[in-house]
Parts: sequence; structure tokens; C-alpha cells
Amino acid sequence: MKRILIVDDSFYMRTMLKNMLTDAGYEVVGEAPNGQTALELAKSTNPDLVTLDVILPDNTGLDVLKGIKKDQPDMKVVMVSAVGQDVIVNEALESGALSYIVKPFSEEKVLEVVSKVLGGEAVS
Amino acid sequence: MKSREQEYKEIFIAEALEYYDALNRHISELERRPEDDKVLAEIFRLLHNLKANAKAIGYLQISDVAHKLETAFSLIRNKELSFSDEVVLVLFDGIDLLGELIGNIDNPEYGEPDHVLIRNLDIIVDNLSNSTIELAKVQRYNSSKNLSLSELIYIQIKKLDHLLNLVGELMIDRDRILSISRDLDHDELKSVSSHLYRITEDLQYSVMDARLVTVGSLFNKFPRIVRDIATAEHKEVYLELTGQDIQIDRNILQIITDSLLHLVRNAITHGLELPEERKKKGKPREGNLTLSAKNDRDNVIIKLEDDGKGIDLKQVKKAAIEKNFIPADAAAHLPDEEVLSILFEPGFSMAKEVTEFSGRGVGLDVVKNAIDSVGGRISVNSSKGKGTTFTMQLPTSIAVKGALLFEVNEIYYAIPLIHTESVVSIDISELHEVGDVLLADVKGENITVVYLHELLNAPEHNMRLGDKSRLSGQVQNIIIVSYNNRKLGLIVDKLYRQQDIVVKPLSKPLDTIDLYGGVTLLGTGKVCLVLDVPAITRYFITKR
Repeated sequence: MKRILIVDDSFYMRTMLKNMLTDAGYEVVGEAPNGQTALELAKSTNPDLVTLDVILPDNTGLDVLKGIKKDQPDMKVVMVSAVGQDVIVNEALESGALSYIVKPFSEEKVLEVVSKVLGGEAVS
Repeated sequence: MKSREQEYKEIFIAEALEYYDALNRHISELERRPEDDKVLAEIFRLLHNLKANAKAIGYLQISDVAHKLETAFSLIRNKELSFSDEVVLVLFDGIDLLGELIGNIDNPEYGEPDHVLIRNLDIIVDNLSNSTIELAKVQRYNSSKNLSLSELIYIQIKKLDHLLNLVGELMIDRDRILSISRDLDHDELKSVSSHLYRITEDLQYSVMDARLVTVGSLFNKFPRIVRDIATAEHKEVYLELTGQDIQIDRNILQIITDSLLHLVRNAITHGLELPEERKKKGKPREGNLTLSAKNDRDNVIIKLEDDGKGIDLKQVKKAAIEKNFIPADAAAHLPDEEVLSILFEPGFSMAKEVTEFSGRGVGLDVVKNAIDSVGGRISVNSSKGKGTTFTMQLPTSIAVKGALLFEVNEIYYAIPLIHTESVVSIDISELHEVGDVLLADVKGENITVVYLHELLNAPEHNMRLGDKSRLSGQVQNIIIVSYNNRKLGLIVDKLYRQQDIVVKPLSKPLDTIDLYGGVTLLGTGKVCLVLDVPAITRYFITKR
């Protein structure tokens, strides 16, 4: 079972993502509401994939992405952003994120991106 | 049952109200320190989340207002809009409007948000700060505010664990005080301690209640999982769920999650036949899988039934003999239930091939261990050609267990009621020495009987469990316990009452003795050891 870490500061978003992912048979190994916890959990749980919100209360999603990539360069990261954050998303893709999901997202879109990225495809 | 939509909505509203409160706090800060980028960034984050969440759940008025406010604040951040008094007023009003919209999500009477206010927001957002259009002087919105807090809070499960732990400690002290007050025979103390008893009991049930979740929160994940496994296995499966609103302790549900998943996988992969095969046998093409929950006194019964090919007892026997689980000559006389029990033995697996979804080397013993660890029981029934049923009997709550107290060699012991079958008194002449154990005929059933005094006290080299001469007294009190369809009689010195006990884990060095599952403190202040029935039964199975 593929293991996923969810990083999002909204409990609502985390719950939705978690339900979508667990319903689809993934294991959600952790949920981080901020950058600090995200970095800790990425290390301790060593997931197959991280879904990473662009805006977090303590760091930006970009900082977290760079932090993860520094220690765990092979970890797969998918950004979760809102409409109008293309600049950040592009920078994230250049910094090693493999794809992105735009809020509000549909279950199909989330599962499509996640399964493609876990299957080894970089999709944008 | 609380549907997922309802759950989402409650979470949305609770979080949105939190955001609303935080926005009010931050905008007041910003009014005092307009240059504070950190506060501005925080306001952005909150509005941004509110917008995204509202859009996701479909509250478009909220996402629309949040969007307008977000735009206004981005203009302020980019110095395209000054944080002037009249702008501040409109922003405050906008945030209040958000609060109003959130508060009226469930109000069908609520119409449209105030037009003048929306227009004011639009004026700001369209960046007409240098225009001559005046912001309409709206009555300061919502001046007679009702303060309201969310009806829902989130709490980390570990905080509830801690709370439950403290309640456990409190119960132990309560029983002690009750016992002391009886000894002292002091009326006032007795009345206070009986009050304390009732309050503690209330507290215990409230804390246990706060940890309850519906079984549905786990069951509802299965339709998708079943579909996926069925597709991969080329099977057609209809899944029926019942009893989703039955409540159970969250940690117990968490611990059995993997077990249930394993059983469901097994049922589809090994239990249900392929559609063509079913048709040939005169069954409907679509296999039936039922996952049900119901209450049974203090327990929750979870059942998984399939109408597949059932378990072939002959094959189980054959495998059991091959793997030396039972001697070949005994196999013929073994009752069906005992044959099925072998499935739960460590290291016993029937899987011939490893498929993507089943038989990853995890046997039913792992499932059984998980159920044992929460103090539950599991059993299986199967009828060849007709199907298999797994039944799990789980405690509703994790901390307090009903137990039977007794004494051996002047030490108190307890056995959780979930493992006790009955209590009998037997004359010593009805106990028979067979090999190195004793046997007794209890209601027509031959049961291995163990003298606990000997088992718990005699040094190993001198332990003679099958020696009647070690027994004292003519009539023996025997507690019949059962585990995995195997019954065992335990001879005790004195029987006491049934009582709710709080089981605490053993500390070093006793934690390595696997005959004990834990310890509790009785009201008298005496320590009482809790016997681990699965461990003791297993000990005798290996011995036999």
C-alpha cells in the first residue's frame, strides 16, 4: 500500500484529501498542519508521496519542499495550490515537485495526479 | 448515521468560525499596525483557506466574499490601497458578513447578503481608490453582535487517552476510599465516598463516551476497497453494510482496521468464487459479502459473512497434520470448531498462492493477535459450499473490563469476563490424571483442568500439573475459560465477586511473565494480578 503524507493547514482540506486517498486504498501516514510538522513527519514516516499545500502558517510550501528535497531528494511531492498561484507552482515544479493539484479539486483529479506521480510519471 | 456530507459540513463550519474569529483578531491588530507584514500574511492565509474550503463544499456566497476581501488585502499589501479609516470600516464589515454567512449556513430563511456592503467591497476591489465614487456609509454592520462559539471542537486522541488513564487511576483510589470508609464505619465519610463513587462512575462513562465513534467511519471505507479487490480478482461482489451507527471506542476500531481489511480481502480472494463457477453451482453470479455490527450487552459484535465456497475442513486437517499442528490419529475425532480454530494458530496458513491482494504471508494469527490485544474474541463458522462467517466480539471501551475475582495461595487474581465460560464445583474423584494434566468431564465435555496453585507457584522443575495429590480439599472450584474454541478449567482456592476493574500494564520485571495481562488495585489496597487467558491457553496447547 502506498503511503502518503498530507500537508495542509486546513483541517477541512486534510479531512477531504485523507478520505479521498484512503477510500482509494492509499495509506495516509500523517497529517501536518504546518511546515515544521511537515518536515518532521516527512523524516519520521518516510512516505512515498507528500501532498503539499502552497501556503502554510509558519513557512511557505516552497520552503518545506526545499527542506524535504534537501534530506530526501527522491521523495515525491505534489503541490496543492489555488487558482492564481501559478508563479509559486512553477517555482515548486522547478524545485523538484512532480505535479500539482488546484483547489477546489475533484476526487478524480486528485487520484489521477497521485496515481500518475506514484507510477513514475511527472505530470503538469 | 452521520453521513460524510454532514461530517464535512460540521468540520467546515467549525473551522470557518475559527477563521472568522482569527480574522477579527488580526484585522484589529492591523488597524493598530498597518505595516505588519506578518499579520497581513496571516489574514491572507485565513481568507485563502476559507475561500478554497467554501468553494470545495459549494458555499459560493462565502467563497465570493472571501475572494473579494482577499483581493482587497492584496491591494493593501501592494500599497495600491491605503488602509484608511473608511477602507478599514468596509473590511471590518466584510469580515462580519463572512461571520454572518457562516452562521446562517443552516438557515433556509437567510436571503441575500447586504447589497450596499457588497458594492462597497466591489468599489475597493476594483481599485477605485483614486476615483470619485464614494463608499456608501453603511451602518456599521452587525453592530449588535451575538458572540457565538463553535459547537464542535477537535481534540487529539492522545489527550483523550490521557484523560481515560486519569479516570482509571481515580477509580482505583475511589474504590480504596470506599473500602476504608466501610472499615472506619464513619457515616459522613461513607456518604461522601458513595457520592464520589457515583461521580466517578459518571465521569468514567462520559470520558468513554467522548471516545466513541461510529463503526460506520470504518465500514464506509469498504465499498471502494471491495470494488477494487473484486475488479482485480475478476469477481462480482455485492457488499451489504448494516449497523454503521453502532458506537465503539476509537482506538479499538483503529486496532482492528487492518484485521478487517485482511478478512475482507480473504473473503473476496479465497472465499467468493468466480462468476462462472457460481453460476454452475446454481448461485447468483454476484457474490454476497455482508459486514454488520450490533450491540451485545457491553460488547460490539462485528460480523463478516460471505456466501462463497466455505472452508474445506478436510484440507485444513490435511495441512494441519502436514505442518504438525495436530497428530494424524487425533484429526479424525476433532470437532469441526476445533479444526477451524487451527486457522488462527501462529504460522498456519492455507494460502497456496500469493495474489496482489491476499496471502501476503499474513495469517489469521495476526488478525487474532490484534483482536486479543483489545481484549476481544474472534471465531469462524463455515459450511462447505455455502460460505464463511467471521465473528468478532469486541469491548465497547478499552479501559474498564468486567472481571471475575478469585484467590490462589492468598493472592488475588482476576480473569476478564470475556474469557470466562462458567464456574463449576467438582468433586476431586471426578478429576482424572491423564499424562501430565488433569481431565474433567464438565457437562459432557472433556476439559483439561489446571491447578493454578501449582502453575503459578511451583518451581518449573518440580511442577506436576497432572498430580491430584497436590490438590487440597475434596471439592474443587473450577473456572472454565475459553480461548479460540479451546476450553480450559482453572482450579482456584476461593471465588469472589464479579467487578469492573481498570487493568494497568505490568511494570518491570513482571512484564516479561506472559501469564499475566496486567495488574489492578482492589478497594482493599490489595494488588490483583490479571491472568492473560490467551497466553495460558496457548501455553497448554504447546504443552499438549
